[in-house]
Amino acid sequence: MNPFASPTSLTMQGTHRSLDTHKYSVILPTYNERANLPVIVWLLARTFTEQELDWEVVVVDDASPDGTQEVARQLAGVYGEDKILLRPRAGKLGLGTAYIHGLNFVTGDFVIIMDADFSHHPKFIPQFIRLQKAHNLDIVTGTRYRATSKPATVDALPGGVHGWDFKRKLVSRGANFLADTVLNPGVSDLTGSFRLPVLRHIITETVSKGYVFQMEMMVRARALGYTVGEVPITFVDRIFGDSKLGASEVVGYAKGIWTLFVSV
Amino acid sequence: MARAHRAAVLGTIAIIAYMLTLFNVLSVPLVDAKIAEQILPVFPWWLLVSFGSYCLWSIGMGLATLRECPEAYNELLVEITAAKNDLRAKGVTVD
Repeated sequence: MNPFASPTSLTMQGTHRSLDTHKYSVILPTYNERANLPVIVWLLARTFTEQELDWEVVVVDDASPDGTQEVARQLAGVYGEDKILLRPRAGKLGLGTAYIHGLNFVTGDFVIIMDADFSHHPKFIPQFIRLQKAHNLDIVTGTRYRATSKPATVDALPGGVHGWDFKRKLVSRGANFLADTVLNPGVSDLTGSFRLPVLRHIITETVSKGYVFQMEMMVRARALGYTVGEVPITFVDRIFGDSKLGASEVVGYAKGIWTLFVSV
Repeated sequence: MARAHRAAVLGTIAIIAYMLTLFNVLSVPLVDAKIAEQILPVFPWWLLVSFGSYCLWSIGMGLATLRECPEAYNELLVEITAAKNDLRAKGVTVD
């Protein structure tokens, strides 16, 4: 869209010092994230206000039984109905379709997809934005495995993880190695999602559901010729709540790799 | 063309080339025929072992270089308490 005709730039006179007239929309898929949601929204709001960026958060809740939606409504009361958009769904329909659902309500021209627990910290978003602008990238993704960003920038700090035991590290490295060898996607971390894509094209193209969705997004983007950059991020494993990674996910992952191998 | 199809085509070409050199229909350039005779039968196994070592090396390197970030964890804990206090004051239910 024309950045000079965006709602932000038309109304920003005297309110923003920033030259950034883009609006950044964050899609947060949630399921039983009652404890995490307020904090992550607080962190996002703080990051965006500090950077003087126009923002919104689309909360896609899959009918959580623990009252996540109630908390989301309270947050909308605090931050504004135009900033926190609660767009729930009727049941647990999966990660990929949650993003697609959220895209219908996005009014910004940049979309950030991330986890609602604290494993993806909003403090990296400004680095993502700077990298995207510097090289006009279509997608910027976070990587836990690199110490420098790709393309290189001076302000990137080394990536890392916390709270992983050896088995988890092995599984993660093994999974990425498998995907890397079979699919050669061009990014070093396929399983940590935290992206800043500008295009709806890829997301609507990807057909998988669940965690394979993230991997498919990257592979398809590369196949379609989009430019991708990487920023190192630190990934602190779940503090509250249970992770949704189980044995069936592993099988699904292998199947997903095979499907991508034969179709992309 | 999908990756699988590309891989299949390249694989077929490689196998045919290998078979032709193995059965002496073609000769391997730059290598003496006697030496080629000894190497070619074991070549696929060597490829397999090399790939296996590469896999192990790659995953091992990956495990060794995966950085721990305790400072990020501590910083995050501080931020969580700050966020909860702030939001509790504004009327949001935080656990």
